Amino acid sequence: MSDELVLHVKDLYVNFYTYEGIVKALDGVEMFLRRGDTMGVVGETGCGKSVTAKSILRLIEAPGRLDDGQILFFDQDFETKETIELDLAKLELEEMLEIRGNRISIVFQDPATYPNPVFRIGDQIAEVIELHQNLAMDVLYMKIAKLELTLSEATSDENRAEIEGKISYYRQQLDDPPEPDKKSMREAAKLKAIEMLRLVRMPAPEQVVNQYPHELSGGMRQRALIAMSLACNPSILICDEATTALDVTVQAQVLLLLNQLKAEIGTSIIVITHDMGVVAETCNWVNVMYAGTTVESCATEEIFAKPLHPYTAGLLIAVPKLHEVKDRLPQIRGTVPNLITPPTGCRFHPRCDYATSVCKEKKPLLEELEPGHWVACHHPLRS
Amino acid sequence: MKLRDFVLRRIILAIPVIFGVLTITWFLSYVVGDPLAMYVTERTPDAAIPGIIRARGLDAPLVVQYFLYLTALFQGDWGVSTTTGADQPVLTVLARLFPATIELSIVAMSIAIVLGIPLGIISATRKDKAADHVTRVFALIGVSMPIFWFGLMLKYVLFYQLSVWDLPHLPGGDRYNFRAFGSWQPTTGFLLIDSLLFEHNPALFLDAVVHLIMPAFCLGYITLAIITRMMRSSMLEVIKEDYITLAKSKGLSERVVIYKHALRNALIPTVTVIGLAFGGLITGAVLTETIFNWPGLGRWATNSILNSDIAAINGFTLLVAFIFVIANFIVDMIYGVLDPRIRFG
Repeated sequence: MSDELVLHVKDLYVNFYTYEGIVKALDGVEMFLRRGDTMGVVGETGCGKSVTAKSILRLIEAPGRLDDGQILFFDQDFETKETIELDLAKLELEEMLEIRGNRISIVFQDPATYPNPVFRIGDQIAEVIELHQNLAMDVLYMKIAKLELTLSEATSDENRAEIEGKISYYRQQLDDPPEPDKKSMREAAKLKAIEMLRLVRMPAPEQVVNQYPHELSGGMRQRALIAMSLACNPSILICDEATTALDVTVQAQVLLLLNQLKAEIGTSIIVITHDMGVVAETCNWVNVMYAGTTVESCATEEIFAKPLHPYTAGLLIAVPKLHEVKDRLPQIRGTVPNLITPPTGCRFHPRCDYATSVCKEKKPLLEELEPGHWVACHHPLRS
Repeated sequence: MKLRDFVLRRIILAIPVIFGVLTITWFLSYVVGDPLAMYVTERTPDAAIPGIIRARGLDAPLVVQYFLYLTALFQGDWGVSTTTGADQPVLTVLARLFPATIELSIVAMSIAIVLGIPLGIISATRKDKAADHVTRVFALIGVSMPIFWFGLMLKYVLFYQLSVWDLPHLPGGDRYNFRAFGSWQPTTGFLLIDSLLFEHNPALFLDAVVHLIMPAFCLGYITLAIITRMMRSSMLEVIKEDYITLAKSKGLSERVVIYKHALRNALIPTVTVIGLAFGGLITGAVLTETIFNWPGLGRWATNSILNSDIAAINGFTLLVAFIFVIANFIVDMIYGVLDPRIRFG
C-alpha cells in the first residue's frame, strides 16, 4: 500500500431540485482513496453514499445537479506510468464516457434489476470490452489459435503448408496489428468475456456467456456484473451495496472474491455499505458519512478501536454483539434529518449528546486530529 | 424443437377462437334479421316463398342449419352474397375486394409504425421540451379526431382547395386514375405489386402511390397517435430502469443507451398495441373507404349489414377474426424475439 492517492473528492455539493424544495444531498463531502486500498463508505440510508458514488461517475440525473466541488482522479498512464490528474466534476461528457466502465467502474446493489433482461450475459460483458479496448492483438491471437487447432487436425501436407503460411502471416502482423473487422472484434470480445467470467469464478463460463440474466441465480448475476465492471481493469471499482441484496453465504463468497481480485488485478475499491461487518471484513480504510457530510475517515482498526465522532460511536454501539444478552438494542436518538431543511451548523447536532451552541452555528470541517484520523466535529470524543 | 412446439400450440389455441367467433356470429345474425330477407324482393310472389324456404334449407331446425353451414364452410362454400347485385359466392367477393383493403391497411400501418416509434422516442428523450409538446399535441389530435371528419378535411384541403387554386393536388379518391390507365388485370390484387411486377408500368405504380397517400394517412393517423403515445410512455418507464443506469455506467453513449438498451425493452408494450391496432385497421377501413371511394371490403361489409346479407356478414366477420388471430400470432413471435423471458414460454 502506498500513500499515493488515486481519488480525492473535495468539498462536493450535490443538490436535487424537486417540487418540494432543494434537497441538499451532499454538503461538502470529502473522500480520498489511496492506490490499492479498499475503502468502506458507511452511513444510514439517505446519507449520500450512493449519490457520492454516482457523482464520481457523473451519473447524477435531473433533477439532481453537481453544484460545486472537485473530484480529482489520478490515473496512471498504461505505458509511460505517468500520473494524469483529471477533475471528473468538470470533464465534458465525451471525456467522461472514456472513464466510465473503463477507468472507474461500478457494481450496483440489485443483481435482479441491473442486467439488461433482453441481452445475453456474454454480449453485455463483451459490449464494454469492445467499447474501451483495442482488440487488434486479441483478434490476431484468436486467429492464430484457431489455425493452430485446424493444423493439429489437418491431414494432407498441402493443407498443413497452407495453414502454416497463414499462421506466419498473422505472426508478422503482431508487431503492427491492423484494424480488425467488426465481426472478429466481437468474437474476440466474447472470448475475453468468457475469460472475465472465469476470473470471477463463474461455473461453466462457456455456457453462461450465451445465457440470459433470468436464467442465472442472484449470486451468479452479481458475479457477471462484477465481471462486467472489471473487464477493462479499472483503476477504481465502486461497489454500491453490491452484496446487500444477496443472502449471507453468497455475500461472503462475493466479498472473498473481491478481496482476491483486488490482489490479482490491483484495483482500488470503494465499498459502499451500511453493514459494519462487511467493513470489518473487507476494508482497510473507512469513511463515515452522515446526512451528506463526511464525519470521520480513518483506518478500519482505528474506527472500531476508538471512534472520535459521536455519530460513529453511536453506530458502533448499535451493532449487536455475539456475547451480550440484551432486551433492547441501543440506538441513536432522533431520526435522519430532512435534507430540504437540514439542521444548521453540524448536521448531527440535534441528535448528539455532546452538542453545544457552537455546533448549531458553525459547520465543523474535516481535520486530521490524530495522525491518519480525520474527524469533522467540534467536540470529538477523548481528545 | 421448442420453436415448433410454440407455433403448434399457438395454432391449436387459435382453433377455439375462430370456432367461437363463427358460432356467435352465425347465431347472432339469425337473431337480428330474417334470413329469408336476402332471397326475396317486393316482387317475389307469396306462393314462391315456401319453395325458397325449402330450397335454402331454412325449414330445418336451427342446429341442423348450423351444422350444414359448418360443413359447407369447410368445403369452401361460404354462401352466396347478394349485396353486389347478382348472386356471387362470398369467397369470390372476398378474394376480389380484400387485397384493396389489406393494401390500404398495410400502408396505413407502415406509416403509423415508421412515424410513430421515432416520434415516441423523440418525445420521451426530450421530455417537457418543445419537441415533446409538439409531438404530444399531434398525438392528442390523432386520438381525438373522428376519422370521417379528418378524412373529409384532408380531402377538402389537399384535393378540393388545392385544385380550386390550380395548385398540384392529391387525388380525391379511387385506387388509381381509371381514365388514364384503363382497367388492370389483378394477379395478386395488390396494385402496388401488380403494377411493377406484372404490368411493368411504373407510371401506374406512382399513380397508385399518389392515390394511397391521403386515405392511408387518414386511416393510419389514429394508430400513429396510439403508437406514439404508447412508445413515449413505455420509453419514459424504461429509461428509469436500473439497467439503463448500468448501461450508462459502462460508458456507452446516449445514442447507444437509448436505441440499443432502452428501445428493445420499450418496444414490448408497443408491439402489443400494434398487433391489436392492425385488426382494428381492417374494420376501421370502412369509413376511410367510403370517404375516398376505395374499392375494398369496408363498403361491401357495410352494405351487407344494411341488406342483412347473412352469408356476407359471416364471411367478413370470419375473415376479420382470422386477421386478428394472425396479427396476434405475429405479435407473439415478435415478443419472443424481443424478450428472451417470453421466448417459447
